[in-house]
Amino acid sequence: MTDGSPIVVEHLVRAFQIKAGLARLEAVKDVSFRLEQGEILGFLGHNGAGKTTTMKCVLGLLHPTSGRARVWGLPPGSPGARARLGYVPENPDYDQSFSSLELLRVFAGMRGLPGTDTDWKKLLERVGLRGWETMRLKNHSKGMRQRLSLALALQSKPGLLVLDEPTGGLDPIARKEFRDIILEENARGASIFLSSHLLSEVESVCNRVIILNRGAVVRTGTLQELLGGEETHRVSYLEGQTAKEVTVPSIELQGTIDMLRGKGFPVTGVERSWKSLEEVFLSATEA
Amino acid sequence: MRGVLVFSVMTLRMLFRKRTPWGILTGVLLALFAIAQVPSFSVGNQGRFILDFGLFGIELGALVLAMGLAANLFPHDREQRTVMPLVAVPLSRWQYLLGRFLGAAMVQASALLVSCAGLVVILLIRGIRVPEDIFPATILIVSEGWFLLATVFFFSFFTSPPLNWPLTTILFVLSQMSVRDFVDLVPASPDLMRGLRLLLPHADVFHIKDPLAHGFDVAPQFFALAVFYGLCYTAFMLSLALAVFRGRDLK
Repeated sequence: MTDGSPIVVEHLVRAFQIKAGLARLEAVKDVSFRLEQGEILGFLGHNGAGKTTTMKCVLGLLHPTSGRARVWGLPPGSPGARARLGYVPENPDYDQSFSSLELLRVFAGMRGLPGTDTDWKKLLERVGLRGWETMRLKNHSKGMRQRLSLALALQSKPGLLVLDEPTGGLDPIARKEFRDIILEENARGASIFLSSHLLSEVESVCNRVIILNRGAVVRTGTLQELLGGEETHRVSYLEGQTAKEVTVPSIELQGTIDMLRGKGFPVTGVERSWKSLEEVFLSATEA
Repeated sequence: MRGVLVFSVMTLRMLFRKRTPWGILTGVLLALFAIAQVPSFSVGNQGRFILDFGLFGIELGALVLAMGLAANLFPHDREQRTVMPLVAVPLSRWQYLLGRFLGAAMVQASALLVSCAGLVVILLIRGIRVPEDIFPATILIVSEGWFLLATVFFFSFFTSPPLNWPLTTILFVLSQMSVRDFVDLVPASPDLMRGLRLLLPHADVFHIKDPLAHGFDVAPQFFALAVFYGLCYTAFMLSLALAVFRGRDLK
């Protein structure tokens, strides 16, 4: 039985035994969220925040200590869940003795996908591996392996893409190409679960963001909600010879200017002030 | 099953591209050639000697091949993280295990068949009569090889390759022992040792080199039963391996 949500995670806890006899470390603490159909959900957190652990529980690579994850309403790792899934792991690696084209052929065979070499070459071209189709993977750079990993994830035109730091180690042009492909796939109807350190990347592609800190969800919401629905302005003025600034909600802007002028402080500038995702992320994780 | 077959062919190609199976095969063939060079007093004696030691050498080759092919497969996949994209999407865990096993089993069987063909060539060159049962004997060695391969797979899911080698070798040695020899290991607890021996595999059923070397006939039913026993024990070891693998986290 399946439901409409590509991913549902409920009260997920995953603990690791650091050393025999010692207390366990909870890498993920009571994490709950839902990825809705057609959504791009960003998963943010510093190193060791529990992003990859959560993703691996969703993929069935790790067994949760408690709580549960469902993919299309099915247990992670079940054939029905895997059939509609594409996965780009962090630092992907494949058998070095194969070429990109061979690997695509083998994966197609394992998935029971119809397709010809022409289809796979087009796919490799789409991810920027044109001309490298027959080269053994041992001669591929990290970036090329990531591109191949994306091609393998896209091969079955999945309804759900799970991307774990997909652009780590890529150059800015490749990152842009990756972002474009993510948006194209989303436009096709794919739901996307994206983990990334790159706040600008998350900001530019995600509809909704979850911020994880020390294994727990500390902030969640749409980008609009997180970046503050409330618009603010920064007002610069002179108090005697000293330049000062004050940030006020837009609704209070005129009143503030009037108040400053009333006190005899000349207003030297007014700027619209934007709250960045970085500020939101830092304030959420520092807290 | 299509996923398993495609993955087993992928494993087969991967292993053929490695040096390990070729190195072991070369070693076995060189050992056979060396055995054939040992002088003997008569042609009849030399025939028995070459057959007996040749088949023993090929059986040892099956053990070394099992360890050389499979001991590092899963640990390498785990360390290089090549197992994750496979198990996360196109394959389930049983398909991964069975695909890897079948690929390695095909390479091992090919190497053992080539070794036995090498033994036949040596016998022919020496002008020694080739026993009719040499092919069934080869099939029995292949059965034993698959059982050993499944054992190596089982250990590989919870031990490192350096530990896998001695564990498999110990099981190989114990599985060759008769009940009496096994009980003699701990004479104070004969019943316990007898019970334990019943649980352990009986690899002695795979050995027909002595009757073969001495020109005795072996009943076809014996071959069939021995191969069936080998396949059953292989399936049992693979089931144990799957139970361990299913419980494992892929960090």
